Amino acid sequence: MTVSLSARNIVKHYGGVVALADANLDVQSGETVALIGANGSGKSTLSKIINGVVALDGGQLLLDGDPIHLSSPQAAKKLGISTVFQELSLIPQMTIEENIWLAREPLRAGLVDARTLRKRTAALLALFEGTFRSSLQADTPISALPPDEKQIIEILKAISFDPRLIILDEATASLDNRQVERLFQLVTQWKRAGKAIIFVSHRMEEIFRVADNYSVLRNGVTVGAGPIKGVSERGLVELMVEKAATTGTMKRDRQMFSAPTDHKLRLEVKDLQTDVLGGVSLQLHDGELLGIGGLKGQGQRDLLLALFGDMPYWGEVTLSGEPVRFKHPNQAIKKGVALVPGERAKEGLLFIRSILENMLAPSWKNYGFPLRMGRARADALKVGASLGLKMAGLDEPVSSLSGGNAQKVVIGKWLLRDPRLLLLDDPTKGVDVGTKAEFYKLLAQLCAQGTAILFYSSDDEELLGLCDRVLVLHDGIIRAELSGTTLTKANLVAASLGASDEGAAAAPGTRPAESVPSQRVQ
Amino acid sequence: MNKFRWSTFSARRPYLFTLLLLVVCMAVNFVFQPGLFERNTLNSNMRVFLPSILLAAGQAVVVLAGGIDISVGAILSIVNTILVTKLGARASTGRTAELLAFVLVIGMLAGAINGFFIAYLRLQPIITTYATSFLFGGIALAILPYPGGAIPAALATFYRGTTPLGLPLAFLVIFLMLAAWALTQRTRYGRYLYAVGGQPDAAYATAVPVNGVQFSTYVVSGFMAALAGIAITMLTSSGSAGIGDALTLTSISAVVIGGTALRGGVGGVAGPILGAVILGFVRNIISFANVSLWWQTFVNAAIIVVALAAPGIIDLFRRVVYENIKDIPAARRRSAGGHSVPGQRPAA
Repeated sequence: MTVSLSARNIVKHYGGVVALADANLDVQSGETVALIGANGSGKSTLSKIINGVVALDGGQLLLDGDPIHLSSPQAAKKLGISTVFQELSLIPQMTIEENIWLAREPLRAGLVDARTLRKRTAALLALFEGTFRSSLQADTPISALPPDEKQIIEILKAISFDPRLIILDEATASLDNRQVERLFQLVTQWKRAGKAIIFVSHRMEEIFRVADNYSVLRNGVTVGAGPIKGVSERGLVELMVEKAATTGTMKRDRQMFSAPTDHKLRLEVKDLQTDVLGGVSLQLHDGELLGIGGLKGQGQRDLLLALFGDMPYWGEVTLSGEPVRFKHPNQAIKKGVALVPGERAKEGLLFIRSILENMLAPSWKNYGFPLRMGRARADALKVGASLGLKMAGLDEPVSSLSGGNAQKVVIGKWLLRDPRLLLLDDPTKGVDVGTKAEFYKLLAQLCAQGTAILFYSSDDEELLGLCDRVLVLHDGIIRAELSGTTLTKANLVAASLGASDEGAAAAPGTRPAESVPSQRVQ
Repeated sequence: MNKFRWSTFSARRPYLFTLLLLVVCMAVNFVFQPGLFERNTLNSNMRVFLPSILLAAGQAVVVLAGGIDISVGAILSIVNTILVTKLGARASTGRTAELLAFVLVIGMLAGAINGFFIAYLRLQPIITTYATSFLFGGIALAILPYPGGAIPAALATFYRGTTPLGLPLAFLVIFLMLAAWALTQRTRYGRYLYAVGGQPDAAYATAVPVNGVQFSTYVVSGFMAALAGIAITMLTSSGSAGIGDALTLTSISAVVIGGTALRGGVGGVAGPILGAVILGFVRNIISFANVSLWWQTFVNAAIIVVALAAPGIIDLFRRVVYENIKDIPAARRRSAGGHSVPGQRPAA
């Protein structure tokens, strides 16, 4: 069995956003290629193009030297390309064997051949023998499995039809050490059997263990590729980071946020844990903009939601010198906490309702009964003006606003309540550059007024440009605390990938990632 | 080797509770009607139950695949009104066979309309079939504005007199349905039903023809409703445009009692069939107890409300418990993968 796949000059746009400009990847039988890149570099888009989930806009995919056109994941599967997805494609109510062989059940006389099915399932399960509970049976329903075992079944499902090319997209994220070990043994076996493997992971250590070659994406362009032996961690990080990343404008932005250090402590978190977070501690002062960085899904959202009382947690949280334990966002809001969620349309706004209603949603009780609409409108207008909100009128629906203006409404509704602690969950996602600049100015204004802001962003440049201090989360713990001279793009990216870079001082009180199992209980 | 666990035991046998309920209902019914197990009583009871049994089996297939069919009663009414108006008391055997085949096609066609709207236009099952139930009900009313009509006496005699092996006809029908279901479960289509009801997105990503499967379930349900219509026509020997109105609710209650989850993906057909029998006994008990038949509707509706609310109530209960137990993460992580996190400690 031999196979070779080349992606040549792949281009992909999402609307006006360029996800891939010139992406290239070569992989062939018996080798593992690590696809590496920072946030938004386009590595997930590229893997989705190779497995047929996303259609390409330009460039070419060559399989065994012939150009191919993939219209669906099924088309890719027929050609022998299989993907282990991070978001699982299993049906919880069905059993392990039913899931693995769904739509490909062995038939005898038109009926499902239960005996062959059981035998083949047992053979697959044997691949991971010893790394899961002994009670795992072919007829155990998926819903009864913990996340790591689900992930294993997902892997088995992907390899059950003997693919030639396997894409492992963050497949190790919910596995424990033993299971990762076994997976890597299997990868070696697959390579020997002539399969090709594309390995996408956010763990540097794993990349160096399992990959033969690497391919680095930066802003949708493949900027480097070669044998992993000839490169160091530092070399890879440098490839991922643009050389001319330190720009003057960014530095100036940061000046706006130079917080006086004599401000009082607004928030103190000690050993906060959720199903994803493995013990996070931090301090946030009034007037400070504290950045939270790292790759997506490393627990940033959990941290913000836990502080907003929207997720159960364990640990100590002290707000304004008073220990608190919010069980409902309502309690958090009363204490002056506000959350600007990432999914604006879904979590932040009543999309089809008017701007006025959205602005006043958390504050109606200040306007008596019957509602004093005149005062409400005046307040909303005042906040709108202070935000530079461009609108046709307060009665227009929020859905008529652009992304940036809609985001201002989300902020505006909290300004009416005069928040002391503002939690931002990737607030500039999908917002154009001009509005971003205005948004930054607004943040500076709030900081100057003494609001404490905890700012998670998936945009590394934004964190570097705005924050004096950035905490980098990786696998649910603070991997590094960057500030002053250590706050560089290289250190940020390195810490995001779990690499221990000499410049990045480990935050006090953090444990090495290896000691924390990355179990994710959904 | 494996420790016995009640939850696993009952999860693998979803109709265990249904069987228990059946025994209780039969026992209570037996008190009111000591001759319950005599051949004639059993025959007449099962004759009355058969239409609901057929409806429940069809409904179960739809619910299993994640939908619901509120129009089954109206489809049954259409079939009933067509039969009593077109057959009359003196129809020949050939004509009767023709018409029976015709109404079965009508049933499937009505189901196909539902299926088209739901599977291919992605409309909500509950709204769509609620709307078509008025459409179908209106057609039935147009066919037979006033109750009446007639069928050949031979048909009614056939329904009453056919007792294979001296057992009720319904037993044979149930046996055939269970055999067909057992076979279905061993086909790919059977697996698809559970997959589509369980997680349609994941099923789609795995190359399951989700739309086709959804569509087919409504055709099956329409077919079963037509069969039920034939049965009820032979039972009553007359027609009424509103004859099926109350039966829709019964069919859904039967599915719920039968351990088939309304959210789809869990259950089977055997349970709902038992459920329909149970509801038949409940109806008997209510009429023997000399209370208004309105209570039958009350019981049906209450069953559905409780079934819908149960997951929410259990969840609420869990949340309350969860908040009061501080040291859960350690326990959960241990059960998740055999790890414990160093430095784990409960909240202050």
